[in-house]
Amino acid sequence: MARTDLLKGLAVFAVVVAVVLASTAATGALLSGSPSNSSAPNVSAYDTDTLLTTPVADDGTVDAVDQAESKTVVIDLSHGNAVSKDAMQPMVDALVSDGHQVRFYSGGDDQSFGASGSSTLNSTLQSADAFVVANPASSYTAGEINGVESFAEAGGRVLLLADPVPKASTGGSSIEIPLAGSSGSTSSPGQPTNLATEFGITFGSGYLYDMDENANNYQSVYAGGVGNGSLSTGVDRLVVRDATPLQTSANATTVAQAEGTSLSSTRRAGTYTVAARVGNLAAVGDTSFLSPASATLADNDAFVSNLATFLVSGEKEPGAPNADSGATQPGGITQPPSGNVTAP
Amino acid sequence: MKPESRGLLDRLGGPVIVFGVVGLVVGAALVPYAWNTTRGPDGTVAVIEVHGTINGDTATAAIDAMREARQNESIEAVVLDVNSRGGTASASEQLYLAVKETKQEMPVVASVTGLAASGGYYTSAPADAIYVAPANAIGSIGVRATVPPQDTPDNQITSGPDKYSTATESEARQRVETLRRAFVGAVYEERSDELELSREELSHGKVYSGSEGVELGLADEVGGIDAAIDDAAGRAGLSDYETTRVESPSPSTLSQIGLNASESDGPTVESVRYFMIHGQLNVGGSADRTEVTRNGTN
Repeated sequence: MARTDLLKGLAVFAVVVAVVLASTAATGALLSGSPSNSSAPNVSAYDTDTLLTTPVADDGTVDAVDQAESKTVVIDLSHGNAVSKDAMQPMVDALVSDGHQVRFYSGGDDQSFGASGSSTLNSTLQSADAFVVANPASSYTAGEINGVESFAEAGGRVLLLADPVPKASTGGSSIEIPLAGSSGSTSSPGQPTNLATEFGITFGSGYLYDMDENANNYQSVYAGGVGNGSLSTGVDRLVVRDATPLQTSANATTVAQAEGTSLSSTRRAGTYTVAARVGNLAAVGDTSFLSPASATLADNDAFVSNLATFLVSGEKEPGAPNADSGATQPGGITQPPSGNVTAP
Repeated sequence: MKPESRGLLDRLGGPVIVFGVVGLVVGAALVPYAWNTTRGPDGTVAVIEVHGTINGDTATAAIDAMREARQNESIEAVVLDVNSRGGTASASEQLYLAVKETKQEMPVVASVTGLAASGGYYTSAPADAIYVAPANAIGSIGVRATVPPQDTPDNQITSGPDKYSTATESEARQRVETLRRAFVGAVYEERSDELELSREELSHGKVYSGSEGVELGLADEVGGIDAAIDDAAGRAGLSDYETTRVESPSPSTLSQIGLNASESDGPTVESVRYFMIHGQLNVGGSADRTEVTRNGTN
């Protein structure tokens, strides 16, 4: 009797346990039907097709200059010019491969105090056919300006290049060096303002940008060649980076201009001149297009070739500028930095 | 006497009293539940902080809190308490996606309690409403990157030209442009109905005051965090609610001075790094280009 009761009790216990577990499982299964995890959000802004950029065509080659006569091109490094030899390599290569001489002028040999730096530059120019100035950090003296002017008048070719002048302070991280004078020892880029204004050209302040159509960055803007002069031949689309606009006088010819761009200092949109020519002088408000990484982008190669050809296609009178063109300078005495003329 | 008293108890219904006492005890035990059912809050609004520079740690904390909010049935709405100038690009994108996913399930309202710039604004953009105060700063939509190092150091051997630098400068610029498109596109997608700015204008990266932000459609309302919490509760249909706050992790001393090796985006490896950040960029190393400049108009 007691044994039967025990068996009955165990059977009831088993049934109760089974019912409880089954009902729990069934409830869980039913509840799990309600979604507790949502699907991942759809972000159409992340569609790969619209995000990935198209690189600018980088298949150009800077052709060698084709001139019968060998010329000498002097590139100024004596005014703290913030441009390295490497940064101009494609143009230098184009000149050298055609047999032209390229010299980097880094200052006069005469170290005596009071010696005129302009006379050493001018004597260097006497044996040169073209003169290139890029981003000078220090001023050109009146004597040097006179010398370059008479050099150009005599048929010598002059190329002025400049980037925007950086602001003195860069967000509190700049370091003041009171002893750094204007001897050209710093590599901060400046603009050859005094030199350019003699030819009716001024470099602008601020950089050009284009928020809409650009070479994958707002500061890399497109410029197009203007007219059918020798400098703009084959130049449909230039890529210039951190470029500054040029203001030119009436007798200057626009070589390249950037349409639909804005100037950082005014935020005004418009068409800005980035390259111009006045007689034997050409000016470009950018140096980046000369660098090995940029010279093969879009039509930059054609523009670099055109500029190289421009430099060596002048017919300069031998001996200009004459020695006394720099002697009339009014107190423009500078201490020339040590250095000499070196081949590349 | 005994038989009489027993009879009295029987007459009064002894079992009834016993059951009555037991019922009182059980009922008293259930009083809090009954009280809460009638008088307690309808649900909880989770206030999730996005404070400080957005990096792997702060983003993970906020993303985990949002996942918890989605899984916890008592949480009916989320308020983002945003006071951040942004941080790394990847962490900012992760936060954006987490907010977007949370918004699919419950109301999300952002309250700018100081600054919602760059990645901080990216985080706020998908919210149902963005509350600002006039002195708040919002915007700075854009991307910054360090310049790739030029050459592999002499004391290292690498298997390829980009192993150390990770990319050429031109490629890094393209990637910045790609991240900008994603950022601007996402903001445009979230707020296209309200925005008075074009994509180009957004891309300038300006910082606006709270008042300007409302005017331009970058934010919705001028109001404090309590207004934002009320709004979120109202959107969730809660007339009576409680709030719970999830704080951002405070930065460790090590990471503040840039020595936290566990921080994935920390300055332990020299390479290109991408940020959605406003203000001073302190990345250390040679990539932090401190330049000596002066005016050189000659």
